[in-house]
Amino acid sequence: MPLDMLSLLLISLPVGLLGSLTGLGGASILVPVMVLFGVPVKAAIASGMVSIIATSSGSASAYVKEEIANVKVAMYLEMFTSVGAIAGATITTLIAPVFLYFFFALFLMTSFLRFKRSKGEDGGSTRSIAAADAPPAPASAPSGLIRRLDLRGSYYDAARRERVRYAATHPVLGGLGMGLAGLAAGMLGIGAGAFKVTVQENVLKLPSKVASATSNLIIGMTALAGTSVYLKSGLLDLTLAAPMAIGTTLGAIAGGRVLNRLPDRVLRALFIAVVVMLIAQMLYKGVTSL
Amino acid sequence: MSGKDGRVTREPTGGLARLEAMISYILITGVVASLVLEAAGLFLFYREHATLAISYDRRLILHAHDFFEFLAGLFTSHAAGGDGAYQLMALGMAILILTPYARAVLSVVYFASRRDFTYLAVTLFVLIVLTASMLR
Repeated sequence: MPLDMLSLLLISLPVGLLGSLTGLGGASILVPVMVLFGVPVKAAIASGMVSIIATSSGSASAYVKEEIANVKVAMYLEMFTSVGAIAGATITTLIAPVFLYFFFALFLMTSFLRFKRSKGEDGGSTRSIAAADAPPAPASAPSGLIRRLDLRGSYYDAARRERVRYAATHPVLGGLGMGLAGLAAGMLGIGAGAFKVTVQENVLKLPSKVASATSNLIIGMTALAGTSVYLKSGLLDLTLAAPMAIGTTLGAIAGGRVLNRLPDRVLRALFIAVVVMLIAQMLYKGVTSL
Repeated sequence: MSGKDGRVTREPTGGLARLEAMISYILITGVVASLVLEAAGLFLFYREHATLAISYDRRLILHAHDFFEFLAGLFTSHAAGGDGAYQLMALGMAILILTPYARAVLSVVYFASRRDFTYLAVTLFVLIVLTASMLR
């Protein structure tokens, strides 16, 4: 089926919105959709990589200004994600496309990790915030590295109407987890936002809002590292990247506006439906091109 | 967080507020500028070619041995056979790529000026990795 730039832009709008609502990000959805329309998988991945610089930086701008994103945590973690992304993108330029379908499907499955956790979200996140509220973090006093890197902070939670304090834990393990996220992001041309948030929430024990805001900031830098590899490999097609960047970013802005109005139940159902469809599509594509 | 409540309860963030304001500004400016250029490029493409087909034309694929060479090429008139749509879209992409890069450069300068050597090392590491990936 032929796809032109206008239809790609128009498809990117609802995809950006959906990506923002489900927390998957636009590229995770649009790369499989482009593959469905016959775009070569490597070209789809390369344009996904560059377009998420726009989507993530656009939302990160607001989060940084509102002091929800933690710039120091972001910079520390970017050391790991940028190296991971360069390695991942390099792997993609070298391997046969058929592997990418399976890696993509496999990586999408990891996004259920976050869903699993969010079942107990209310209890879980309140507890972790409460723990961070107690002046010295109980059980594990901030390690030397946490203090040295100053991986702490506070933000004003509009829903709770109070300032929430937090401190990160397990910085080394968290860094390695983020390296893995960067590897997958660079390889698949996506932000790997769900995976990054999972690591920040479960390993670094950051509050959910800080984790997703900081993740947006990190995604832009990680995508840059991946993009420069694709630029050199001649995989960056302007006619794909330009409409995709415009569409997903505008869609994500719209998504951010309706996010708070939708009940969690709806968001969760939407998430499962989208992820299952994408996994099925990439597996199908992989199996048929074997 | 806006309004009086936010201000009153705002904690001293170790002077990071200025850096945060600058980062926020860089990000939004870069994204808006690049998307406007992409949109203008698409419009011009339609005017020049009377089609919006995705052609996988090699001339419309960004390709350079390194990013800085690509950047320099944008400002020399013979780039891409003087195709205005290509130049607008390519410039938009260059600005998009430079947006997080500018944040990395700014962070290095900021932490150097504050003599925060831990974060100078952290941000310098990221900047070197990015620059190396853009060069090679």
